[in-house]
Amino acid sequence: MTLIAPTPVRSETTEPRVEPKRDRSSLWCALSLTVAGVAGAVALVAADRAAEWGRGRPFELFWLGMLVFTLPAAYWAGRRATASRLRLAVLIAYASFSYLPKLLRNPTGPLYHDEFAHWRQSRQILFDGRLFETNPIVRVIGDFPGLHSLVASVSSLTGFSVWHAALAVLIASHVLLVLGVAVLAQEIWRDGRIAAIAALIYGLNSSFLFFDTQFGYESLAITLWVWALVGVFRAVRSPRMAGLALLLTLATVVTHHLTALGLLATMLIIAVVLTVSRHPRAWVAWGLALGAAAMTTGWLLWVAPKTASYLDPYLGRALNQFAAMFADNGESGRTLFKQSIAPWWEQKTAFAAQICALVLVAAAAVNFWKQGFFKRGEREPAALAMLVLGACYFPAAVLILTPSGAEGARRSWAFSYLGIALVVAPLAVRLLDRWAAKAAVALLTVFAIVLVGNTAAGMNPSYRFPGPPVYGSDTRAMTPEVVAASQWLRATQGRDLRIVADRYSGLIFGSFGGQEPVTGSVTFPTYDVYLAQPGKPVSPQLIAQLSGWRFSYLVVDRRMAREVPEIQIYFENNEPIAHNGKPGFTIGQLAKFDRMPWTIKIYDSGDIAIYRFDFSVLK
Amino acid sequence: MTTIRIIAADLAALGLLALGAGHPGMRWWLSPLLLFVLLATGELWLRVLIPEAVAPVARIGIDAVCGLVSLPLVTLVLHLLAVPVRAGPTVAGLALLAAVLGGGALRRERSGRAPDDPRLARTLAAIAIPAVVTLIVGGSAAIAYVRLPHPPQPGFTSLALGGWAAGIGHPVTFPRRGLEVPVEVRSSGRPGAVARLRVSVGDRPAGAPREVPVEANTTRSFTVHVPSPLTGCLTRIEISVGGASTVFYGRGPAAC
Repeated sequence: MTLIAPTPVRSETTEPRVEPKRDRSSLWCALSLTVAGVAGAVALVAADRAAEWGRGRPFELFWLGMLVFTLPAAYWAGRRATASRLRLAVLIAYASFSYLPKLLRNPTGPLYHDEFAHWRQSRQILFDGRLFETNPIVRVIGDFPGLHSLVASVSSLTGFSVWHAALAVLIASHVLLVLGVAVLAQEIWRDGRIAAIAALIYGLNSSFLFFDTQFGYESLAITLWVWALVGVFRAVRSPRMAGLALLLTLATVVTHHLTALGLLATMLIIAVVLTVSRHPRAWVAWGLALGAAAMTTGWLLWVAPKTASYLDPYLGRALNQFAAMFADNGESGRTLFKQSIAPWWEQKTAFAAQICALVLVAAAAVNFWKQGFFKRGEREPAALAMLVLGACYFPAAVLILTPSGAEGARRSWAFSYLGIALVVAPLAVRLLDRWAAKAAVALLTVFAIVLVGNTAAGMNPSYRFPGPPVYGSDTRAMTPEVVAASQWLRATQGRDLRIVADRYSGLIFGSFGGQEPVTGSVTFPTYDVYLAQPGKPVSPQLIAQLSGWRFSYLVVDRRMAREVPEIQIYFENNEPIAHNGKPGFTIGQLAKFDRMPWTIKIYDSGDIAIYRFDFSVLK
Repeated sequence: MTTIRIIAADLAALGLLALGAGHPGMRWWLSPLLLFVLLATGELWLRVLIPEAVAPVARIGIDAVCGLVSLPLVTLVLHLLAVPVRAGPTVAGLALLAAVLGGGALRRERSGRAPDDPRLARTLAAIAIPAVVTLIVGGSAAIAYVRLPHPPQPGFTSLALGGWAAGIGHPVTFPRRGLEVPVEVRSSGRPGAVARLRVSVGDRPAGAPREVPVEANTTRSFTVHVPSPLTGCLTRIEISVGGASTVFYGRGPAAC
């Protein structure tokens, strides 16, 4: 097929049953993918074991495990002779298999920073039956209860634990994400092969394997975003179906702030492109965008007013750092893969993946232009809108060079990669149709490079692999000692206690411990309690704040005086602590609490000490 | 399948879910039941929102997504009604939603219903079979990974105030004979050892240190005799076992 061939839009009910003559390809496909899946799973387990025992080659084993399954899956999905249902089965297998790396990373409980917050929030709903409770770990997530209420409901209805209910929801969401991209591509291109390849290409984005699979609201929201776009395109075709888009937009708004904003931005892109293309039903897209804007604005203003102040510093700092980079010739920027333990070839492919994406999108754009794609038609404006969305990937990639913009840039890729997937897929099919064998080898090679590179660019090795405990790592700072201390406090003193802690202890005390930790901010600088020199008083204003707000416990992790945190944060991003490769505290600063009459040491396990505040002594 | 049958099956499944909810032994039965309820609710959403034939793959996807979002939407309504989000109210909410959606779908179908797609069952199988096979392979891999031996985690020995002493929040007033202070020593991931128990009142040790056994992977509670401070002035009391210590403050019966 050609991209712009004026084929009539076929009704879905009359989708041709172009089944190949009965052959054994289904059997071979099932057999080969089952064997590949088992081999891949074994290699992934071996990779994690190599990493945790510190021997062997975890990176090589990991990619062996991933590629041994995904490359045959890509082959079967892209093969012209593959029947439509077999192609669908391959996609489902691919979607399910691609959850395995994250499942193996932490099969039994939360591990990533935000997972603790979401786990706590869901448990809170399960125990108390109330939505919109404040979360002490990530302060805004209580205002977006979509995921938490879903997980808590599944847990209460089935009897599974919150973690297992979350896994069921997240795996379903991950599979539906892949299926949604395929359905969206089918909406635009009316070709099952392009649809399958688009879904596989979307799976190359840097968030797909480890970020949008975590127990976090974005993992559900990204799926809702894709299906809301399915609803948008259906509504543009037939305005009577706008209800689906509105329902899923509402669900997205209730689930995650950034995805709701991303959905609004995507709808605006679609509306503008349809208008420029003089599409007769551009007004539908504008109407839906207006509806999305009303829902998002209403929610952010009346239900989640804290969100703006939560997101604003990230964007503001990123732009400032971006400006500073120009002013000082890049000296204040980030050095990519600085101190990374990722092997050189992963680091190189991370750069190569961006070049591949640029070349492929440029080729897709040229292809559109050469084929006279800007002519008026049913599919063209939709594809053009996806081209614009895909083009947004590259400006965001520049933000990765700033310390504060890196996080936002990575998160935006899950959105913009959809555009890339939807415009590159038809090009891939065209190449396969023209030079079958050569194109297949070349495309599979590019597929592997981009998969490796984007994953390396998206997640630190400590998020991807287990390993020995590392102080100041979001994924490896948890030790049995910290967990035991948090359990002791809950068992002997109860839960929902207001405590002062560092970032890493706060995560555990706030989640497993069920407490209300605060880790400091500009307006409530609890880190000054730790920073005060022995013999010097703590600021009376801070003491008044702690006393007035009924903070009753202090957690001290003595590793702060011995080790440098891996992610260069003790408490929070804006902490006034120098990060110069030396610990930010002395032993004296942390041991001083043993000799201050207003701190009673009730628990000590070597690294972790718990003190009870007795502010009455100070009066 | 007719809308009436879907509503009936959905409500029947919800009834079973309501009966079984909260029984941990039934969770393997309740999970497919909940899956069915969500897909049926999603199908009702679809019949209300999309008044035309939908290809099987898109239909199954929309059913699943709409079914999933039904739960948060029901819980939001429960929240607005000030009803706690628990299994019972959620099931009732889902039943009400099914009834409302079913009513809407039936009303819409008065002007004709899209015919059933004969490809739906096979498409469903094309989704279910690889999903189940991957679930078995992936689940087995995860279980194997969990059960295989892992490197030992760093151990620790902790000392905590126990019993009434765990609630010390202010300086303790000592009787003349002193106090028996309960403490709790826990060892985890470390070999058994003998540690020195020391008690200090003020800057002076209260007697000679004594040795206490700290057995591996055990928690032991015992009381420690702390003599009364000499004066009624605020005095620091420290109890330590090995490298771990607890500190509180007290006053003796004499005047300061």
